[in-house]
Amino acid sequence: MSDRLSVAGVTPGRVLAPADRIELASIVRDLAAGGRTFAFVGGGTDLELGNPPRALDAVIRTTALDRVIDYAPEDQTITVEAGMRLAALDTLLAQHEQLLPIDVGDRQNATVGGAIATNAFGARRHRYGSIKDLIVGIEIVRPDGVTAHGGGKVVKNVAGFDLPKLMVGSLGTLGGIASATLRVFPKPAVTRAVLARTAADGALLRAALDDPSLEPSAVAHHPAQGGVVLTFAGSAASVDGQIAHFAALAATHGDALEELDRDALRRCEAAEAAVRGSGAWRWTTSTSIARAQTLAQPAATALEVGYPTFGVVLASAADDPSLDAFAAQRDSATVFRALPARVRGTVDAWGEPPPAWRIMRALKHNFDPQGLCNPGRFVGGL
Amino acid sequence: MPTLATDPLHARFAAIVGERHAISSPSELRTYECDGLLGYRIRPRIVVLPATTEEVAACVRLAHEHRLPIVPRGAGTGLSGGALPAEGGIVIGTARMTRILDVDLPNRRMRVQPGVINLELSKQLAPHGYYYAPDPSSQSVCTIGGNVAENSGGAHCLKYGFTVNHVLGARIVLADGSVVDIGACDGAADAPGYDLMGVVVGSEGLLGIVTEIVVRILRKPQATRTLFATFPSTDEAGTAVSAIISHGILPAAIEMCDQLAIEAIVAATGVDWPLDVGAALLMDVDGVALEVEQTAEAAQGLMRASGAIEIRAPRDEAERLLMWKGRKAAFAAMGRISPNYHVQDGVIPRKDIAVVLREIAQLGHDAGLRIANVFHAGDGNLHPLVLYDARVPGEEAKAEAVAGEILRVCLRHGGSVTGEHGVGRDKACYLGEQFTEDDLATMKLVRAAFDPDGIFNPDKLFPTPRLCGDRPGPYVPHAIERSGEAGRG
Repeated sequence: MSDRLSVAGVTPGRVLAPADRIELASIVRDLAAGGRTFAFVGGGTDLELGNPPRALDAVIRTTALDRVIDYAPEDQTITVEAGMRLAALDTLLAQHEQLLPIDVGDRQNATVGGAIATNAFGARRHRYGSIKDLIVGIEIVRPDGVTAHGGGKVVKNVAGFDLPKLMVGSLGTLGGIASATLRVFPKPAVTRAVLARTAADGALLRAALDDPSLEPSAVAHHPAQGGVVLTFAGSAASVDGQIAHFAALAATHGDALEELDRDALRRCEAAEAAVRGSGAWRWTTSTSIARAQTLAQPAATALEVGYPTFGVVLASAADDPSLDAFAAQRDSATVFRALPARVRGTVDAWGEPPPAWRIMRALKHNFDPQGLCNPGRFVGGL
Repeated sequence: MPTLATDPLHARFAAIVGERHAISSPSELRTYECDGLLGYRIRPRIVVLPATTEEVAACVRLAHEHRLPIVPRGAGTGLSGGALPAEGGIVIGTARMTRILDVDLPNRRMRVQPGVINLELSKQLAPHGYYYAPDPSSQSVCTIGGNVAENSGGAHCLKYGFTVNHVLGARIVLADGSVVDIGACDGAADAPGYDLMGVVVGSEGLLGIVTEIVVRILRKPQATRTLFATFPSTDEAGTAVSAIISHGILPAAIEMCDQLAIEAIVAATGVDWPLDVGAALLMDVDGVALEVEQTAEAAQGLMRASGAIEIRAPRDEAERLLMWKGRKAAFAAMGRISPNYHVQDGVIPRKDIAVVLREIAQLGHDAGLRIANVFHAGDGNLHPLVLYDARVPGEEAKAEAVAGEILRVCLRHGGSVTGEHGVGRDKACYLGEQFTEDDLATMKLVRAAFDPDGIFNPDKLFPTPRLCGDRPGPYVPHAIERSGEAGRG
């Protein structure tokens, strides 16, 4: 069990599993008082992310923190504990015909807290934004064991600094997430996906993204399927109308559309999850629409999935020799989500620290002066 | 000008920004004594109007060297005293930083200086079919830099999100005068590390001063349908809003006006809204044409089921714009029905609109004051306007007390003391009612990472014993607001 919970290759001394948020805070307090190093782990589905921690006395497993604190379907907000699995959340929301439009590889295991800490996203970010755009409140346990809140339960709120956003993508280096309030959305009446056999940088995709008659809810390039998948969601008439319009647009580019059923769509999404935990190189390059066309990537790369409006996810075999050179020269938009064991600790997952790293270091120091939370796992050794 | 001789620092600031753009004469400083919250006034020591990042940085360095507090200022339209000067400090105004630096349509982004007026972005983009989504009612005069500081909202933020959802990156001058880029400035969608951009947006000028901003731009929707519906009272209108939201309809905007607000808007703008109704809703639905038609139909059904008296659509684009102009000028219109008014800004869960409006009406009734409501109903962002007459002894204090109690009603319903106007000086004392000491101490850890000495915008946002003895003055509309040129909320 503890092997499965190794964090970027580092096995913790022990695993602690608080039963509730009060125990979570008291465990952190005790560890901090003893000067122990620790990491927070939810479903453990993204533990390859980041650099190996310099020390790891304990892992705090949050999966028992899976309660619903407040669900107001008529207000489209939900407050849940951090350890709630996304699949369980989906089931709960489905009872009210709602959903959390955040794409996460392994919904059965991944938790809400983990999705926030790793800033998980996928194809639906095109319409709904990332978790940064959906989080409205947070409860954290600081590295000293103090519980603090930011944001709130309402969808609009400018009172105080935006701690929820600060925690998104912070990988547990500023403290642990105890609970969060998220905006949820009505489940569209109809959702249909179509595959256009075209390149991610092709004229058809650009035309589609520029066409006011089309508002896809998700856009992804799946090379394994040989094209770009656009998902349309809404009323039946609107979805049918948009797909007909897109088909006509595709025809003018000499491309044909192919409808993807639920299983075919799931296969597209599963391709990305399959490479996790395999020991391969895996990285994301954040980009924008036009810039995607000029990205320099190593030749042997397999493109797993591309999000033409914000980034690509790529992978390469663990023994691919071209990757070492690529890793040394890549720009700041590329982050390694997983590294082969042979380079772990020598290749920095995050690359050169960003220009504002000095502020990040000060933040880390102010929140965690003893350097106990996931030390060294984050950007620039934070 | 006598101050030139008496203030040795004037020459040093003037050497950075030019003599014309360093202001220290008492008569000229008067303009900068306050922002849109006119009840508080502090005369700054010097105001500087730099034109470039380098000039801002040099001014900050000089101020830092002399331990002068710094207050950043955009157009000064803020309603919470965020741009209220600090005693003996400098104000850095962005009025000369009005350049649009880059319009990148293929990547859907735009880089601007902070002094650019909000509406100017959409004007520039309109010929290309794009626009900038956040639309505070003051958008014809407020600046993007001020929007970043306040995380400004607006009617159409219901569907499209607030400033924080549309700012991708920024160049920021820190308290020591150093310049750094935060967020995704170089064309990427994300930047590794902590989301500093997410924290800087809405930080009310306490973390630094942004000198370049990269915003996301959106393609204009294919279709927009506007509906105006009247109701017997705010109960039915509130129920209609709750029904629309809980039904899974996401309009671009739903705004509510109660009877008093309608009366004021009609008097001020001449829009032909009926006066014998208890409340009205103004709603925009936008998107793909087919979806818009169906959504508008569904919303009308829910409005009727909730008790709508009449639902109408504007006859043409001119009438649609007039309706929205009426809504955006609503605060100023209050001058037609009351000598003075206190603008409040609070948030509640959307399901509670009808009951909270009743509680607010009761507060007004108990105090013997009228309260008008005109607000962003779709996201539960209330703007109660407490009407009073400052010439009547004691009424002003009573109005303030009622406005304060309204915030406590919002908090009791699980809401927030501000949805878009910010905390600033005005609500610092209420922040302690919304957050615990530990919450506030944690926010101060963030501040100390950016500005360890607290040189930027001191005495704002965080409650202190000194501040919380202060009492705000009456709300006085700004000249451009009285003229109807720009609105509030």
